[in-house]
Amino acid sequence: MNFVKRAWLNLIARKGRTLLLILVTSAIMLFVMAGLLIRNAANTATENAKDSVGATVTLTANRSAAFKKMRRSMSSSSGKPSGRPTITTTPVSLKTAQKIARLNNVESYAVSVSTTAKASGFDTIQTSNGSGGPGMSNSSSTSSVTVSGVSSTSSNSSFSDGTYKIKSGRGLTSKDVGSNNVVIESELASENNLKVGSTIKVKATTGTKKTYSLKVVGIYKAKSSSTASAGPGQSDPANTIFTGYQLANKIKGTKYAGTADSVVFTVSKPAKVSAVKAAGKKLINTSKFSLSTDDSSYKQVKASMSSVTSFANKIVWLVAIAGTIILALIVILMIRERRYEIGVLLSLGERRWKVVAQFFAEMVAVLIVAVGIAAVGGKFVGDKLGQQLISQESQSTSSMTVASQSGGQGGQMGGGGPSQGGGQMPGRSGNMMSTAKQQQAKISTQVSVWSLLQLFGMGLMIILVAIMLAAGGILRLQPKKVLIE
Amino acid sequence: MLETKKLGYWYGHEDDALFKNVTLSFDAGKSYAIVGQSGSGKTTFLSLISGLDVPKAGVIEFNGQDISKVGLTNYRQHDVAIVFQSYNLFNYMSALENLMTAMAITGAQHKGDKEFARQMLAKLGLTDEQMVKNVQKLSGGQQQRVAIARTICCDAPLVVADEPTGNLDEQNTVEVIDLFQQIAHEQHKCVIIVTHESEVAARCDVAIRLAERTFRVEQPA
Repeated sequence: MNFVKRAWLNLIARKGRTLLLILVTSAIMLFVMAGLLIRNAANTATENAKDSVGATVTLTANRSAAFKKMRRSMSSSSGKPSGRPTITTTPVSLKTAQKIARLNNVESYAVSVSTTAKASGFDTIQTSNGSGGPGMSNSSSTSSVTVSGVSSTSSNSSFSDGTYKIKSGRGLTSKDVGSNNVVIESELASENNLKVGSTIKVKATTGTKKTYSLKVVGIYKAKSSSTASAGPGQSDPANTIFTGYQLANKIKGTKYAGTADSVVFTVSKPAKVSAVKAAGKKLINTSKFSLSTDDSSYKQVKASMSSVTSFANKIVWLVAIAGTIILALIVILMIRERRYEIGVLLSLGERRWKVVAQFFAEMVAVLIVAVGIAAVGGKFVGDKLGQQLISQESQSTSSMTVASQSGGQGGQMGGGGPSQGGGQMPGRSGNMMSTAKQQQAKISTQVSVWSLLQLFGMGLMIILVAIMLAAGGILRLQPKKVLIE
Repeated sequence: MLETKKLGYWYGHEDDALFKNVTLSFDAGKSYAIVGQSGSGKTTFLSLISGLDVPKAGVIEFNGQDISKVGLTNYRQHDVAIVFQSYNLFNYMSALENLMTAMAITGAQHKGDKEFARQMLAKLGLTDEQMVKNVQKLSGGQQQRVAIARTICCDAPLVVADEPTGNLDEQNTVEVIDLFQQIAHEQHKCVIIVTHESEVAARCDVAIRLAERTFRVEQPA
């Protein structure tokens, strides 16, 4: 280990040169460290996103198949008057949903049933709509309420994304599924002096047309923007009451028992969403039902994180290559300057590998100090650089989100009211987008033992290459030539 | 101890050889001077016998073994100690550290023995203060003594010196040559000195002149 002692003596004796080497190596290590930290942070964020952003598979009636069937029946009866075109859809069986829920990677499922009923003994909110054009006034004053049957209010996208918030009382839970408990909107409650514990009555508009007595267990408040979108002929969103899905089915009619408009399955691992969909398709009649997936948030987070990771990787490699070149040049100059010393060592019979080992030991000592400096400064540089990248990515993701959300909602509106069937998806999607953005904002670089080891390993490779490039030429020569030159 | 058989060396073409078919024998306990004009090939010969370079023709045998077969690194490490005109000390070390380093590399008997190194340096006239000073701060004569102390510490049976008095004044020259004589006679080592100074050659046991590509023994013991 004499070469280690020589290395130490050399570093101590040539303080100026040692300091210069530490500065240069630190600068290189600082950028490699920043790159490594950003890459690790992006990888961690992507992993977190996989767990927290989530992805869903939705089981609904196959509307496109129903449309095709309708067109076929219309063309087969061409020439004969057949009245208004109608499509027939089959409600989703809860038994089928339960089978899908038992598939691998399905974490939970939320049932959604939507129907309408007549308010009995209380007034609904009336919407006055002036969109008919100048001088025209359009008014809808129906006494109907929208009954939205859910597994629990927390599983409903409007509640989970914060569009609706429980103002007083409580939300519905899985225990309320078979009960007559309801959650109503605050405007509807105040107009009718309804409070938690009050009872309201609604009359079914189909089937037996029975009147149901419902107990108010919670009052929710909707964001103003979400309540102002009732179209002509539609009930005001404030007239939406949430019940357990079994009650909603009863109001809808006896033939709807054990069915749902849609069932949203939450997949624990977004990467497995396609596998769940494929397995689920085997359990359903695809001519009547369809399974659609939504892992767009996950994909967007993954894409933006991949972009950050890719950039960080490029930083790491570019700095590593540039660092190797810079260090190699410095080490080449340093070793050329020390030819005489190499010659003396060789003349004394020192092994060539030990000469290289001495230079390596010197550089390792420099590297240890440089890694220490990089560990302190790398986090600062990594945070600054990482946040810059993230904010750029967030801006592009936000604009993508706006585009995809507006497009998505437009496509779903044909399915009925905002809380019907496929109407779940835009809300759900919006919710996941906000989670995705939160995930991105949370990215922060952490100096871990692993990143330090990675940096040290990278540094070792850089100095090894640099020393081999620099010393290789000299060590090939006979000692006499080294000494003479 | 050391034999050269039909040794030859040239740069470029064989016809322009510095020397050819050199067959010489060097024994332990004697000092040899190789003299000749500048550029005659003395230093090249020395670099061949000290294993710093490989001959173009012929072989060098040490104790009956071809040094190229033993391995030049092994040969330099254990069998030969070299004193250069420019001392060739590690300029970032003290005199003491130079000796300790050389002993560690060559695996000398007194490897790691600082006291032994001190004694050697003291024997050659260096004070305690000079021993721990950076060698660059020592005079030429003192540096040459450190280089000689290094060869003594390394236990090599063959000591070769290239113009060891080239940078020294008359007084120091006499002292250094006396030291080499002591090494040869008292430690029973083979000392080969390359020099262009006839006074130095005259003080050695055997003088060999290199002229016109051939070696000629001028002063047999």
